[in-house]
Amino acid sequence: MTASLLEIRNLAVRFTTGDGPVYAVNDLDLQVRRGEVLGMVGESGSGKSQTWLAIMGLLAKNGRAEGSVRLGGEEILNLPQRALTRLRGARMAMIFQDPMTAMNPFLTVGRQMTEVLEWHRGMSRREARARCIGALESVHIADAAQRLSMYPHEFSGGMRQRVMIATALLTEPQLLICDEPTTALDVTVQAQILALLDELRQRFGTAIVLVTHDLGVIAQLADRVIVMYAGRQVEQAEVHTLYGAYRHPYTEGLLRSVPRLDQPRSARLATIPGRPPDLARRPAGCPFEPRCAYASELCRQQMPPLVSLGEAHLRACHYDGALGPQGREA
Amino acid sequence: MSEPALLEVRALDVHFPVRGPGLLPSRLTLRAIDQVSFDVRAGEVLGVVGESGCGKSTLSRALLKLIPATAGSVRLRGVELTTLPKAAMRPLRRSMQMIFQDPLASLDPRMTVGEIIAEPLKALLPGMERAEREQRVLRTMQHVGLLPAQINRYPHEFSGGQAQRIGIARALVVQPQLVVCDEPVSALDVSIKSQIINLLLDLRAEHGLTYIFVAHDLATVRHIADRVMVLYLGRVMEITDRDALYARPLHPYTRLLLSAVPIPDPALARRVGPTREELPSPLALPSGCAFRTRCPLADARCVAERPVLREIDGRYVACHHAEAAAA
Repeated sequence: MTASLLEIRNLAVRFTTGDGPVYAVNDLDLQVRRGEVLGMVGESGSGKSQTWLAIMGLLAKNGRAEGSVRLGGEEILNLPQRALTRLRGARMAMIFQDPMTAMNPFLTVGRQMTEVLEWHRGMSRREARARCIGALESVHIADAAQRLSMYPHEFSGGMRQRVMIATALLTEPQLLICDEPTTALDVTVQAQILALLDELRQRFGTAIVLVTHDLGVIAQLADRVIVMYAGRQVEQAEVHTLYGAYRHPYTEGLLRSVPRLDQPRSARLATIPGRPPDLARRPAGCPFEPRCAYASELCRQQMPPLVSLGEAHLRACHYDGALGPQGREA
Repeated sequence: MSEPALLEVRALDVHFPVRGPGLLPSRLTLRAIDQVSFDVRAGEVLGVVGESGCGKSTLSRALLKLIPATAGSVRLRGVELTTLPKAAMRPLRRSMQMIFQDPLASLDPRMTVGEIIAEPLKALLPGMERAEREQRVLRTMQHVGLLPAQINRYPHEFSGGQAQRIGIARALVVQPQLVVCDEPVSALDVSIKSQIINLLLDLRAEHGLTYIFVAHDLATVRHIADRVMVLYLGRVMEITDRDALYARPLHPYTRLLLSAVPIPDPALARRVGPTREELPSPLALPSGCAFRTRCPLADARCVAERPVLREIDGRYVACHHAEAAAA
């Protein structure tokens, strides 16, 4: 299954603010393949969420997207509102960190779910209701029929996220975008939601984009991973390659600074020195250069292009030597 | 354990009255903290973990008397705090300070960094000369890694990590002994989080501080804590030295929490069963052991009898089946 479902070319997202333009996403090229889980990891301001909001046509009013995004070969970036509404929900859907804010607190869960099928599939209320009960059961919600007449606040956070996933999958979209789907949940509930996403992907063949800051979450579920920094893709690889043989200093920094339960406790955590990037500035060189232990003069002057290292491994970095403790001392 | 504890908490209850559902609501009691007892030794870091709703934040606030205790005792160096009048509490506030989760939300946006850090000094040490106060503010800023030139800036000019440094400086400027850190790094990015954790550990070593470190992230707590207390629905499930807890958790709830932490290594990716009971309502706690509805070991005794916190191999566990796990 190498056929690509979504093709992003040259995507740029810019916001106009009182303090001048903010460059949230720059020169982004990527593909999502049918049925895969693509992880996108980065910190605040990395552009990981804005990328997908732009594709869904959900940017804030002061945001503008340029470039090309093709879904199954068809251009979908900046479609008129009416065409977008048809596309969203039917062929791609998105779920968010906080399901409570994504739901209408005044409508029952059943009303919010059946609406999707009435709108997109022209089903009768009764037909839609039967389908929604099945959908809630497929995300392991017990007493589904009774649950439909309840309001969002009557559900726990984990249950609300299950309802969101069930709703997103009602129209059998080819692409499900999950933006920090488990960040607001407890670890125990997070584990359940990740297991659920994995199960649904296998059952329905839905491609999943998993956007998160959490490298642990990505490792559980993703087939391929893209690492973002300051609105740019800095590394892309198959999941085992990324964790085992990463080639970008920022990926290394991220992986080394997370405290881990599977390794002996160290007296001090490794850190990435310095501060997050300022997106209002567009440096000539690599945006990670001020915080990078391997940086050279070239990095200050020239933006490193994203180049292939073979085996579907890409990175944007001028440094050619070894990473790790040896590399830093050299 | 020969030297007396810095903080002694005994049978602490924090209850909230809640309106029940319906037109003529009954009055229900939410037991946010239920018979909690523990010590904090001078110089240690006590980690407090548990899921949302377990009472972590209520406990931190009750210890500082930001919310009243319903019953029980909290003693700081032998002084009972729960019954202390407000005026008598003031000098003790210098000894106990708090760092909050959301650094930007906990800083007044209309005050400069210098004013924010000086405020606890003005409130708690009103006799201090202005010049000395300024010196103290500058010295504290330096300790937490802020530049003197930033003293007249406003909070919104700082990133989350820098803002948390301001929050830490505000807590430390009165030279407290005990600092309650309520999820101090949860809102921060990965690369900044480790900077702040290292800073907290450095400050503790330099100033002989004692921390209560409240967090939901078990990997972070393992890094910073000497001992760990596990809470569930307002009750203590286990209190144990860090290494023992992470190597061999005795309480089934501790095991559930640890097994759910995702490891950042795809080769170690673990699959958890798709369904498992969620937290019961804190308004209708199960009889006996609060954890029994989610516990794989639960039996009739767990339904009938609430397990007390008891010592096993020098560790404290509230579970009828702890011996089975210890064996």
